[in-house]
Amino acid sequence: MDEFIIATLRYGTPLVYVTLAGVLAQRAGIWNLGLEGLMIVGCCASVLGLVQTGSLLFGLGLAVVLCVLGSILLWFVVEKLRANPIIAGLGLTGLGLGGTDLAVQAIYGSQASVTAPEGLPRLGAIFGPAVGPYGVLSILVVLMPFVVIGLWILLRRTRFGLQLAAAGEHPFAARSVGVSPSRMRLVALSLGGVLCALGGAELALGSLQIFAYGMTAGRGFMGFSAVIFGGGHPIGSSFAALFFSVVGAIGIRAQLMFGDRVPHDLLLALPYVATVAGVWISGRLRGGARAAAVSGELRDY
Amino acid sequence: MMLKGRLITVGRAIAFVLLALILCGIVFQLAGYSAKEMFQSIADGAFLNPGAWKNSLRWALPLFITACGVAISFRCGFFNVGAQGQFYLGAIGATFVVDFMAGWPAFVVIPLAFLAGILGGAIWALWPALLRVRSGTDEVITTLMGNFIAGLVLIYVCSGILKDPSGTGQVMASRPVSPAFRISTNSGLSPTIIGIVIVVGVAMWLLVNRTAFGVLSSLAGRNPIMVVWQGAKLSRLGIAGFVLGGALAGLAGTIEVLGPNGRLVSGFLPAHGFTAILIALVASLSITGTAIVSLFFGGLAAASLYLPVLAGLPSAAIDIINAAIALFITARTVPGLARLAARRRASGST
Amino acid sequence: MAPSGAPALECRDVSVSYGPVAALSGVSLRLAPGLIHAVCGQNGAGKTTFARVASGLVRPNRGALFISGQEVATGNVARARAAGVELVHQSFALPPSFTVAEAMEFGAEKGTPIYSRRGLEARWKQHLENLGVRVRLRDRIRDLAVEQQQGVEIARALVAEASVLILDEPTAVLSPTGVEMLFDRLRNLKAGGVTILLILHKIREVLGVADTVTVLRGGKLVEGPLPAGDTTPQRLAHAIVGSAAEQALSGADEAALTGAEGRDLGASVEPVASVPATPAGPVALEIAGASTRADPEGPALADIDLAVGRSEIVGVAGVEGNGQRTLVRMLANLADLQSGRIALAGTDVTRGALAARRGAGLRIIPFERNTEGLSLASSLWENWSARQLLFGPLLKLISPAAWRRDCDLSLKQWDVRYATTTQPAGSLSGGNAQKLILAREVDADASLIIAAQPTRGLDVGATAFVWKSLRAARERGCGVLLISSDLDELFDISDRLIVMLSGRIVAEFRPPYSLSAVGAAMTGAR
Repeated sequence: MDEFIIATLRYGTPLVYVTLAGVLAQRAGIWNLGLEGLMIVGCCASVLGLVQTGSLLFGLGLAVVLCVLGSILLWFVVEKLRANPIIAGLGLTGLGLGGTDLAVQAIYGSQASVTAPEGLPRLGAIFGPAVGPYGVLSILVVLMPFVVIGLWILLRRTRFGLQLAAAGEHPFAARSVGVSPSRMRLVALSLGGVLCALGGAELALGSLQIFAYGMTAGRGFMGFSAVIFGGGHPIGSSFAALFFSVVGAIGIRAQLMFGDRVPHDLLLALPYVATVAGVWISGRLRGGARAAAVSGELRDY
Repeated sequence: MMLKGRLITVGRAIAFVLLALILCGIVFQLAGYSAKEMFQSIADGAFLNPGAWKNSLRWALPLFITACGVAISFRCGFFNVGAQGQFYLGAIGATFVVDFMAGWPAFVVIPLAFLAGILGGAIWALWPALLRVRSGTDEVITTLMGNFIAGLVLIYVCSGILKDPSGTGQVMASRPVSPAFRISTNSGLSPTIIGIVIVVGVAMWLLVNRTAFGVLSSLAGRNPIMVVWQGAKLSRLGIAGFVLGGALAGLAGTIEVLGPNGRLVSGFLPAHGFTAILIALVASLSITGTAIVSLFFGGLAAASLYLPVLAGLPSAAIDIINAAIALFITARTVPGLARLAARRRASGST
Repeated sequence: MAPSGAPALECRDVSVSYGPVAALSGVSLRLAPGLIHAVCGQNGAGKTTFARVASGLVRPNRGALFISGQEVATGNVARARAAGVELVHQSFALPPSFTVAEAMEFGAEKGTPIYSRRGLEARWKQHLENLGVRVRLRDRIRDLAVEQQQGVEIARALVAEASVLILDEPTAVLSPTGVEMLFDRLRNLKAGGVTILLILHKIREVLGVADTVTVLRGGKLVEGPLPAGDTTPQRLAHAIVGSAAEQALSGADEAALTGAEGRDLGASVEPVASVPATPAGPVALEIAGASTRADPEGPALADIDLAVGRSEIVGVAGVEGNGQRTLVRMLANLADLQSGRIALAGTDVTRGALAARRGAGLRIIPFERNTEGLSLASSLWENWSARQLLFGPLLKLISPAAWRRDCDLSLKQWDVRYATTTQPAGSLSGGNAQKLILAREVDADASLIIAAQPTRGLDVGATAFVWKSLRAARERGCGVLLISSDLDELFDISDRLIVMLSGRIVAEFRPPYSLSAVGAAMTGAR
């Protein structure tokens, strides 16, 4: 059971961080499909920063800076150039995947992956053996619930949260009380960039200590789906993300238990199937959250 | 009026592609490459080297077919971003037929393979379409997830049922398609393929520009509410466009397997679907435009193979160019332009 | 009337242009504190733009804004609010998912950084009570009735110490009683020292509440703030319409009112009085005992019985949101019919899809011209041909050139002003856009035309044109169901009038109509 929970948390923590980034963007009125790209940048920058300088903090700082810059780029394109957020988000994702590939090739030549000498601080190293098998989890796993609750307070219990929601739901209302929806979106996307950097760092340095091309494997998109499944609520969406991780962990367990008797590759597809199911269920419950619809008329860009 | 509108559309597309290329140049310089050398090599690989255009055309033809499908489903207002998965499923369907009917005559097997490929792609578009129409499930998510699932299914069949036993295990692939069933050599240019592309292109052009379906789906894509108030069955228009898009992607998959590729390889052409979406968008969803833009992106696809092999440069450069174009291509305004015009008018009036 | 001290609000030489169109040109205005001021004018006279300039939402190309004697940077809502100006919008501007308490809080200034739900409700309860707005603080904005929503919106505007409150067309959505309640509320605020600026277009209401009147026409100030006591309805009307325009328009208006022959519609002239009072023969529309489920756009319909005869215009009156939209959606097969029967021109279409109903002669001029009626980004000919294309096979080859020619002919007949049939529908003005819809929906095969708010936002000329077309359709033997929130319009052209309240038909009237009786039926105070 412990192993199962550890597997879920390992899979789920990065996912929760990007999901929260998606929640911020969604409440400000942008469906952020660039999460995948920001997350891979977070993975890559934290590992390369660590490897190149030997400083974990530098790696994390680099990841945060690059992810925030990426978010600002998306904000500029969507808000100032009025590009379609879905296509621009996919473009940002492609830029993240291609850019990290290019960076690795530029530094290490045609190498498939980069291994980091150390990872994020582990619970075992901080709290000693008292935490038992959970000592292998990183500090960001413990931080995760606090970030979730902090974001819930920010979004649901402060005036800033109300103004952010107004900017997303009824921009004219926001403007009428002197709040600039555009600026709110910049703030939301930038904060989301920080969360994506943390999610990426946790994925790359939390347990594996490695960067590999395309290692996010759709987690950004799953985070995006968790936002829809959770109705844009920070806590609901985090639980949706954890649900996807439970399904992922079940797949991993099944592989360990049954070995070659179950098709390994199809088990890997389980989280994706769960994501489709989640979005489908929320469609049935709420009449469909339509990312594509809010983006307006694509034909007439 | 019509001509002027089109010229503006074309000019804007070119302007934003150029903007994207400038951004890429900056990225290349930052990464420690010479942007000039990079672009020179890309141009060589795509168009300038002797015979390069043949290679570009080889990539452009399947891309054009998939891009037509993307254009049609986007015209209907459905964000089918699952061309990659539909392309894979088409390729898988076709491979199954040629693999299991190895002993049959080619005139039976080839049409059946095409049918299976088209069906495979169509089915992979049908379920997101049904989910969208029946319960409002966002098709962006379902088709994206469909891409990941299709990628895993591809690995599964390549390492299982269809696995080539003689393969080294490094790259998993199916048994090669029997030469009798191939519709082209590895060059990818044969009368059959060119013929298919022309037929598809003309048919899709007629569908979009010369039928009630074309007019109504375009209205529905721009304003579904208005079409509902006219009494149209939006779900039927949508499913038709969606499934047609999937069928065309499946057709392109079939062409790749029976044509230049010659076998199913796990993870092959991972950028095909995304590139097709870009082509459709750069062409602002016009079929004629798609044909022209496909040549450009076919060139980039050719260059992405040329770069690492002959120029010693990373092929990720092409991914970055594609992504940067995607980032900018749907932009509608240039900031400051409107304000500048207003200011000029105001100062002129005072 | 010499204002004492600094004016509450002053504009100096304000000009605003949207593209080539001048919305305001050189408006200078001083409004004295502690009074109720009215700014009136026709649609497009620049009233709303003026309100938005004064509240900082729109930055004028030229001009200055002074609040209580202090110059305030233009085009900055935060500055204008800090100086005490608040704006209540025509269509309310509160996020629908917010609770009442949240709607108060999101524009407030002071307060704790983190609140609890209960704390928030406690904080705003008193504020709402003081203003006499009776709502539960936990209710969501989208669940409120329009009167409550407006009350909340006014309360929202007064969360900070507002000294000037601007209301943009606040009476458009209210019933006659609601209007009285609003005016009482405004008089109370005035007694509390708030300066009020009302943007209105109904002369009757202006003279009923305002202390001073200002008239805008074509973006220009034509009548300075003059005491309401010093003017007459005739003089105001004259100022609003303008003398030359009045002459030109009264002819068209006259024609519309008397149902004179349409120049290009070939309709026969028939005096209104000769239309039979009881519809004879197969009726255009018969609804029997129809009930629906609750609809996203309005309350459920309960037990609707309604017949519209051939050659009859039936008006539907009622405060907005009382089931008019559900009625239209039910007839368009977009709302869930639970029980009852619907027949069009004698054909039962209870289970028929909208396409089948259109086949039986149903035509709809929908509520929302720009979303339900037209695809603004699509060309004129595509919009025009949609109805007919849907009748044919979808995959048959068509000739767009031929369709464009037909569209061209039809639009010319309907007097639509446009450059080419390939221009997007969004480039048309409101009146021309409505004529495009008429050109599509009013054809020889129509047996029942539903006209939902067909003249909303149109100028007098276009309004007269729409009326003329509906009358001409009636003369051809078509039934017309006219839904409108403008009682004057309904009284003018309806042969019969029904009133809807909470999803039911509560009253039926025949001419001559009495405003007080219809008004009472609309509010259920019968």
